[in-house]
Amino acid sequence: MRQAGAYSGLLCGGVSGRTGPHSLPLARIKKIMKKSGEDVKMISGEAPIIFSKACELFIQELTRRSWIMAIQGKRRTLHKEDLASAVIATDIFDFLITLVSNSDSHETTSAIMEVETVDFS
Amino acid sequence: MAEGPASPGGGSHESGDHSPRSNVREQDRYLPIANISRIMKKALPANGKIAKDAKETVQECVSEFISFITSEASDKCQREKRKTINGDDLLWAMATLGFEDYIDPLKIYLNRYRDGDTKGSAKGGESSAKKDVQPSSNAQLAHQGSFSQSVSYTNSQGQHMMVPMQGPE
Repeated sequence: MRQAGAYSGLLCGGVSGRTGPHSLPLARIKKIMKKSGEDVKMISGEAPIIFSKACELFIQELTRRSWIMAIQGKRRTLHKEDLASAVIATDIFDFLITLVSNSDSHETTSAIMEVETVDFS
Repeated sequence: MAEGPASPGGGSHESGDHSPRSNVREQDRYLPIANISRIMKKALPANGKIAKDAKETVQECVSEFISFITSEASDKCQREKRKTINGDDLLWAMATLGFEDYIDPLKIYLNRYRDGDTKGSAKGGESSAKKDVQPSSNAQLAHQGSFSQSVSYTNSQGQHMMVPMQGPE
């Protein structure tokens, strides 16, 4: 039975303590945390552990919400545009709006550039 | 060095055709895409596929998420004149920024980790207080009220809270 609910996800990570399989590398998480700001100097040991799980929850929520968008578009492949739609539709993802709307994807960048060129000429 | 400001494909350095993004030490800025992809797949039905651009976007979003939460927690630490960002600061930041649904799963996760890790030294009241959280019900929103409290007396009153929980067994 692989009935992977939210709870079994909890069980498979971290039960056995430090050796337990965190699904995301703690050292990398710590690095990203330190890049968040000048003031971030000291981080307790459990902070990256919390993030390893929090990021998992975050990724799953983002993916599920994006999938709904893909389904609505009658597609079975998740694309960047689905993520963008999900971010726009979800209040708590507001902080991602600039990221999904103007990061350097080919389409978005070229679309923006076209607009700008038109404005120039 | 004739790179135009908006030419993402001109990666002459680092030999990698890994991604069109400007990969200035990408391994420092993002979590591994394989791990992210694995987690994403778990959230999709078996027939669901994920395009590469979606994986890369999620990768960026996760780093943004970490920074977003960390900054809020860091601000709190500064206000309270503390130097170290701890787990409760992060939980507080997540609750503040709208991710309160993550708090209970995270506490369970953390307490399991603490139990296995430190053999009792960090077993606070939270672990015993949250034993009644079952995966079946969604009524844990009611627990949010207790979040700020449990943070404040994690250390002092943890012992008291463990006693009544052992009784009913």
